[in-house]
Amino acid sequence: MGVILAQVAVSGILLGGVYALISIGLTLIFGVLRVVNFAHGEFLMIAMYASFWLFHQYGLDPYVSIPIVVALLFVVGVIAMLLVIRPILRASPSMQIAATVGLSTLLQNLALVTLTANYRSVETKLSRMVLSIGPLVMGVSRLVAFLVALAITGLLFLFLQRTYLGKAIRCTAQDRTAALLMGINIDRVYLLTFAIGSALVGVAGALLMQLYPVFPTVGTYFVLAAFVVVVLGGLGNLTGALLGGFIIGLVEAFSGFYVPELKEAVYFVVFIIVLLVRPTGLFGVVGAEEVGLK
Amino acid sequence: MSTPMQREGTMFSTYRFIPTSSLYTLVGLAAVVSVLAFNVADKFYLHVLIMMLFYAAVSSAWNIVGGFAGQLSLGHAAFFGIGAYTSSLLFINFGISPWIGMLIGGVLATLVAGAIGWPSFRLRGPFFTLVTIAFAEVLRILTLYAHDLTRGSIGISVPFRPAVGNFIFRQLSAYAVVALIFLMLTVMVNLWIESSRLGYYLAALREDEDAAQALGIDTARYKLVATLVSAFLTALGGTFYAQYILFIEPFAIFSLDFSVLLAMMAIIGGIGTVWGPVAGAFLVTPLQEGLQAKLGGELHGLHLVVYGAALIVVVILLPQGIVPSIAGRVKRAFGHHEARPAPPVKGES
Repeated sequence: MGVILAQVAVSGILLGGVYALISIGLTLIFGVLRVVNFAHGEFLMIAMYASFWLFHQYGLDPYVSIPIVVALLFVVGVIAMLLVIRPILRASPSMQIAATVGLSTLLQNLALVTLTANYRSVETKLSRMVLSIGPLVMGVSRLVAFLVALAITGLLFLFLQRTYLGKAIRCTAQDRTAALLMGINIDRVYLLTFAIGSALVGVAGALLMQLYPVFPTVGTYFVLAAFVVVVLGGLGNLTGALLGGFIIGLVEAFSGFYVPELKEAVYFVVFIIVLLVRPTGLFGVVGAEEVGLK
Repeated sequence: MSTPMQREGTMFSTYRFIPTSSLYTLVGLAAVVSVLAFNVADKFYLHVLIMMLFYAAVSSAWNIVGGFAGQLSLGHAAFFGIGAYTSSLLFINFGISPWIGMLIGGVLATLVAGAIGWPSFRLRGPFFTLVTIAFAEVLRILTLYAHDLTRGSIGISVPFRPAVGNFIFRQLSAYAVVALIFLMLTVMVNLWIESSRLGYYLAALREDEDAAQALGIDTARYKLVATLVSAFLTALGGTFYAQYILFIEPFAIFSLDFSVLLAMMAIIGGIGTVWGPVAGAFLVTPLQEGLQAKLGGELHGLHLVVYGAALIVVVILLPQGIVPSIAGRVKRAFGHHEARPAPPVKGES
């Protein structure tokens, strides 16, 4: 029994790494722009389709095509920012949600109409390989996704801490007016942050393609989990998103083990309870849910 | 001159129940729909008419919370589902008339809305929206899980036993009349709220919740009242849907898409106005039904591509929605000032 539980825990942590990677882009965008991007899941879907198409058409391994997918998602982020997000930055929260929900509906159904509802998956040698450590087994592609998630988060931290641009982004997140007064071009910071957040979900999509099939509504499934992760970690909190990812990964793995039919309900209930008891998330600052502060 | 704010009385006191223009619109709508319902022979057009009335009513019910109170719920499918499942289960298991089941479902939805609404009103903006989504998802998963009771993903077929008492009719016209009455009811409730003390409280907390609280408005209480009324009416819509389509299953009934659709229609038409959701539903429903009929199973989702694009365009270019924009233009053209302030565009930030 102990071995089984350990196995469940390992699966949960590996799954959590994937959730964390999807969530980090979402939480970064919220932290800086104060906009919850409901179309984040559709960006993931676009990344997965791009990865699938590059594999199918040109035989590029999903790991090899990561840079192309990331560049594509960066561009998708820039376009979405200029066309949809920028015009609504000063609108009420309700209208912001409405616009990004509209974008989500548009992209999801565009995919449904043009690419059909069929499930498509990529099979490489790696995607079926399994690594055993003692009695525990783990899929190699899951392990890679987990390690890349950690590495990307580390890189993002270094970027935010060390570079001028990273400091400008943090500064804008803390106080837009002060940042503006310090001579930071806020519009450009917003654009870059949104594009970086989208590029991050591009990495997630490319890695996920080895693990899950892609279909037009795949984003809804993952984005709901990502919302849970992000709120649990405190919206706008990067470390929180990483930890939240692991917590939700573990919750899902264990509830999947004990009550498989209810596993999604379990993490939604955890989500509702956390929001009601501690709306700022487990690692958020008190009062953040009211003003959207970090 | 006494303004409604200065009057003595409860939050339910009104100073002008139905404005004359709205009264004419309501009577005109009833007349046109009645004539159409009994004279359109084509079953498809009659079906489109019924769906227009149905969506207009449910979107108006959503508007009480999403529009007047400014709390963007994307979980109204939960109340809709409670209504649909309650009346259907009572009908097929105990033979209880769906007319009675509808009221029981409404009361049940109201109770659930109170239980979930009260604690979540502390949350603002996206946090509130996320809780409403999670709540509807949990209900969907529980409905799938409790398959002994709800038949899970197989869904429930309501047996076709036409009788007025069974809320099942052979003639589509009868459904059109019921939908019309349902729409008139929700519009009247919207009109009543708009002109009542409650409506002013809701407008105040929508514009600036902190300021409303500072003025002594118990914002949580009025949000709750709005939610209870909205949940009750939405649940009635669930029963109507179940009795008209005669089939319900969790993925269709509790779907996020349905909740989004209600919000979308209200926003496109004019969020927080009485006629906005009606106009929004009347504009987009024919498109949806028309495309579905024309393309069949092919290109399923094309209407949602159009909706999504329309929603983005409206939010960016006409954030007040179509009805207030047109109304404002008409009034300016005739040299009148706008009678009521338009809903907010600027955020709380």
